[in-house]
Amino acid sequence: MYSSFVRLFKSFRPHWRKLLLSQLLLALAVVMTVRIAALNGRLVSEGIQQGDISAVIHISVLMIALAIVQAICTMGNSWLAVLFSEGTAHELRVRTFARVQHLSFGDLDRFRIGQLLTRMTADVQSVKMGVLMTLMMALSAPITIVLSIAQAAESTPQLLNLMVIIMAVVTCALIGLIWGIRAMFIRRQASLDRLNNVLQENLSGVRVVKAFVREETEMRKFTEVNSDLERTARAPMYRIALLSPLMSFLIYGGQAFVFAVGGNEVFEGNASLGEIVTFVNLLVASVAPMAMLAILVPITAAGEASMRRIFEVLDARPEIIERPDSSALEIDALQGRITFEHVSFAYRAEDGTLSGEVLKDINLVIEPGQTVGFLGSTGSGKSTLVGLVPRFYDVTSGRVAIDGVDVRDIPTAQLPLIVGTALQEAVLFSGTVRGNITFGRDIDEDDMVVAARASDAHEFVARLPERYDSRVARRGANFSGGQRQRVAIARAAASMPKVLILDDSTSALDLGTESRVQDSIGALMPGATKLYVAQRISSVLTADKIVLLDHGSIAGMGTHDELIAGNGLYREIYESQLGPIREGGDR
Amino acid sequence: MSVPTSDAGELDLATAEEPRPQLKPEPTDVAPDPGAQPAEAEPDIRANIGRLIGYVSRQRSLFVPAVVLIIISVSCTAYVPTLTGDIIDIIGTGQEGELGPRTLLLLGLAITLFVTGWIGGRLMQRASQRALRTLRQELFDRVQGLSLSFFDKRPIGELMSRVTNDLTAVDQFMSQNLGQMIQAILTLVMTLVMMLLNDVLMTVVALLVMPLMVFTALAVGRIAGPAFQSLQLELGGANGYAEESLTGDKTIMAYGQEDAAIEQMTELSERARAVGSRAMFSTMVTSPAVVVAQNIGTAVIAMVGSVLAINGRFEFGTVVAFTVYSTQLQGPIQILGRVYTALLSAAAGAARVFEVIDDVPIVVNLPGAKPLDFRGGHVAFDRVDFSYVPGRRVLHDNTFEALPGQKIGLCGPTGAGKSTIMNILTRYYDIDSGRISIDGQDIRDCTLDSLRMTISAVLQEPLLFSDTVMMNLKYAREGATDEECIEACRQANAHDFVMTLPHGYDTVLAERGASLSAGQRQMLTIARAMVAAPKMLILDEATSNVDTRTEKLIQQGLTRLMHGRTSFVIAHRLSTIRDSDQILVIDAGRIVERGTHEGLLAQRGLYHRLYMTQFRGSPMGTD
Repeated sequence: MYSSFVRLFKSFRPHWRKLLLSQLLLALAVVMTVRIAALNGRLVSEGIQQGDISAVIHISVLMIALAIVQAICTMGNSWLAVLFSEGTAHELRVRTFARVQHLSFGDLDRFRIGQLLTRMTADVQSVKMGVLMTLMMALSAPITIVLSIAQAAESTPQLLNLMVIIMAVVTCALIGLIWGIRAMFIRRQASLDRLNNVLQENLSGVRVVKAFVREETEMRKFTEVNSDLERTARAPMYRIALLSPLMSFLIYGGQAFVFAVGGNEVFEGNASLGEIVTFVNLLVASVAPMAMLAILVPITAAGEASMRRIFEVLDARPEIIERPDSSALEIDALQGRITFEHVSFAYRAEDGTLSGEVLKDINLVIEPGQTVGFLGSTGSGKSTLVGLVPRFYDVTSGRVAIDGVDVRDIPTAQLPLIVGTALQEAVLFSGTVRGNITFGRDIDEDDMVVAARASDAHEFVARLPERYDSRVARRGANFSGGQRQRVAIARAAASMPKVLILDDSTSALDLGTESRVQDSIGALMPGATKLYVAQRISSVLTADKIVLLDHGSIAGMGTHDELIAGNGLYREIYESQLGPIREGGDR
Repeated sequence: MSVPTSDAGELDLATAEEPRPQLKPEPTDVAPDPGAQPAEAEPDIRANIGRLIGYVSRQRSLFVPAVVLIIISVSCTAYVPTLTGDIIDIIGTGQEGELGPRTLLLLGLAITLFVTGWIGGRLMQRASQRALRTLRQELFDRVQGLSLSFFDKRPIGELMSRVTNDLTAVDQFMSQNLGQMIQAILTLVMTLVMMLLNDVLMTVVALLVMPLMVFTALAVGRIAGPAFQSLQLELGGANGYAEESLTGDKTIMAYGQEDAAIEQMTELSERARAVGSRAMFSTMVTSPAVVVAQNIGTAVIAMVGSVLAINGRFEFGTVVAFTVYSTQLQGPIQILGRVYTALLSAAAGAARVFEVIDDVPIVVNLPGAKPLDFRGGHVAFDRVDFSYVPGRRVLHDNTFEALPGQKIGLCGPTGAGKSTIMNILTRYYDIDSGRISIDGQDIRDCTLDSLRMTISAVLQEPLLFSDTVMMNLKYAREGATDEECIEACRQANAHDFVMTLPHGYDTVLAERGASLSAGQRQMLTIARAMVAAPKMLILDEATSNVDTRTEKLIQQGLTRLMHGRTSFVIAHRLSTIRDSDQILVIDAGRIVERGTHEGLLAQRGLYHRLYMTQFRGSPMGTD
């Protein structure tokens, strides 16, 4: 029923002493509560009823002392529960985050960022509350039931049977109420998820919604899931609303019964009034807290659902794993020759099966210092092909090597130092421009500025009020697309890598800027092997070699002149982008 | 009091001085991060909670009977100790005849309070859930009515997690804590009333202990409040960092910065844990402290009551009743203490929900706006000025005309204002001065719906929904048939790849179309625009993401689509617009050149330069 929670609690095993202590403190607090209730009875029968002030004082002082012990136990339990729950939250946040960091590009494509984020925030929060409430309350109900029966056996043995009966009814009522409530909460959670999905899709597609004037449809869609949520949320809450009145009924109905039966016993001289008062007090003190379960049940049900979602992420197995026998390369000695040998690649679906091949038997040698442009139609596999070099993906078969060393044999930490990549989507992080270019690496001021100049970023950065120390907002929201791309290129170039990959990362630049950047990058790092993935043919015209991909295979390779002369597909692309080739040109 | 208050001062300082992990708003009007904002000040809490409760109390037909029933139920509960006190006196003094009726009365009370409490609780739940539904719907409807500038100010992802998290906090309060709170307050009141009816002097004695309880609860509130604020702050920092890193995770991986990111996350999370532990524990102190205070109260009542009973002021059953009353006060006070923390987070959540609800859309229908009367599509810009942010003009004095059926090309360097021109034509933003008219009607005098249904845009960022391909296409026009959609796909040359998808047109796309390539998404958005069958068309760099071979095919379709329709094409690649009837060259928000492709080339100005850079390095460029 609570399988994920059980699994979570099993992971607390190393801390079992603290866990045990917290529950012992809880039990002790319940003992005190029951004891105080019994003392309350004695206060009446031995003190107030007898008019014995010294007994009143004596018993009162005892009660207060027990109350203080109870308070200390409760606080001890609370403190441990808080430590556990906050520790769990911290642990889950960090472990989920770390797990995501070690996923591959393929996994990231599969998971939704929004989902991952919800797991790290809302789900963690709800697990935290679940752990907290479980440690503070879960065992108090059974402990109370057992202890109040024990107390009744000690102080009012004649009424023991009655206490057993009432507690049996309480137990049945609790089980009856809680039974099935988890299923109701799961249905509610499903409705809530649907609502959130509609909301998220609507928000992320707000421009489309507005462009096609579909606000009405969207509102109808939302109204539907919204009403559904109202319905499913009511069911469990109705049950919980029953809990507290039911407990009150059991307390007061039980009292009426005790008075009716016990009163006659007193009249016949078989029982004392004090016993009856003690019993009534015991009843109040032991049954009333059961209503608190109304708080516990929804919280743990939500916590369980959240925990399951978090485990989904934690259990994901990363695709890219460092080989145990990988050994570090001497980076300075590297040439930067890249070879693709019979490389094939297919994406792996969630269930581990391979989908259709994206790359088929690619053979390609790129010499050190060469500039190579990759062209091809949508889905031809350009980005995937270059992504194999920094191991964003691993080949399905074949081999990708740098200077003859299989990239899978290079330590994963070293690969980013060898291969610098500016991705299709230029992401900036909040912080400073400087921080975004150096990006956690040891890069000195001069190298940074040189790289920024080469990527045409220096000019606009220098115009900012605080230059390289200017603040970057989250996701670089205060920079334009072209500015972000230029900073991202500077980031890739700043470490002067042996291999530089620009994966369609100049798409937001106008042609003049793009060619300027390419020229200055070429001048800055003449020895580096440069791989440019491009949509625009004008981006790769000057490359030493142009690789033309089509449906995952190489459809042509050579310089612009060679291809224009001998490759029909290339000519076709050229003409469609730049207009008809004039006769008498280079042919 | 045994409450460890020594931390309180420290926490306060931490809230005040801890540097915010998020950024201050940039001059470029980036929205401040709402997640990291400290909770609102006290009066706002009251106002927001009051407004939330207003949503419930407005359900009069549910709320009023619920409150009445709860009052009855609570009154029964409050009367019980008096009754049991009487019964104890009856048993003590041996009045056998009285016992039966009184115990029956007690049983009757138990049944009444059960039935009223249950039905009252149910009705209250119904009212709360309905109120929540209303609130959610209001929020959603408002978001639909907001202008795009609202979304420009807030990253969508942030808005999403914010809305869901805030709604959760509000939900928790309304469906769980609100009922408890109302019940607790009513119990307090009714218990006090019953105590006063029993004996005024004893009530005063019992209340001597009340300040102790109330003080405890208040003290906890005082510690917990700031502690929770700093918890929100730290948590906001950690969550903000998580969001940013996850969004840019590929970049982090590409640079091998995973460990640095994990380290940073650990540090932020650790801070949230430290603050969180203190915040949570400080709220936990209420309950045991109240228990101690209540027991002291019982002791005082027993002592004073016994003395008074011996002196014959009342029977000792009254003393017993008062000890029970003092116990009865304990529950509600504990609950109120517990609810307080939920109330704080609900108030913070509500504040942000209301912020959205209260945001007035900037672009609205003017009074007396009429549907656009389309008569061919004659578009005229007359001396149009525009700025996104007041004082930073983006478009200057733009005047141009598009005759019905013409194709107008827009080009120019990045950031020149090409997309902006189209945003103001569809009234995503209103212009500062000048006039834009379609067929002689000022677009500000037209209803937004009629305007946007006339002009269809294929957007720069191809957005698809996680639904089937077919539903995505039908999204463009209510009542579009399957055949129309398939035909549109044929024209956009999307049909072939759609047929290769596992379930063809019934294939469900991943979120935002992530399972498709950029080019495929683009083709589908083009097909979608075709389904819309608009009277006029805007292509905003629509083809720049599609590779050339596909683009050529799309061009055919687009040409067919644009035929007879006034169209605006914004493109980086000049080949897309060379056959335009008129090309506008935009630079720094001004139209610097205009004419046909040949005419502009002959001018040897900016257009000529833009055109020639494409051929850099090729023999053509040297021509």
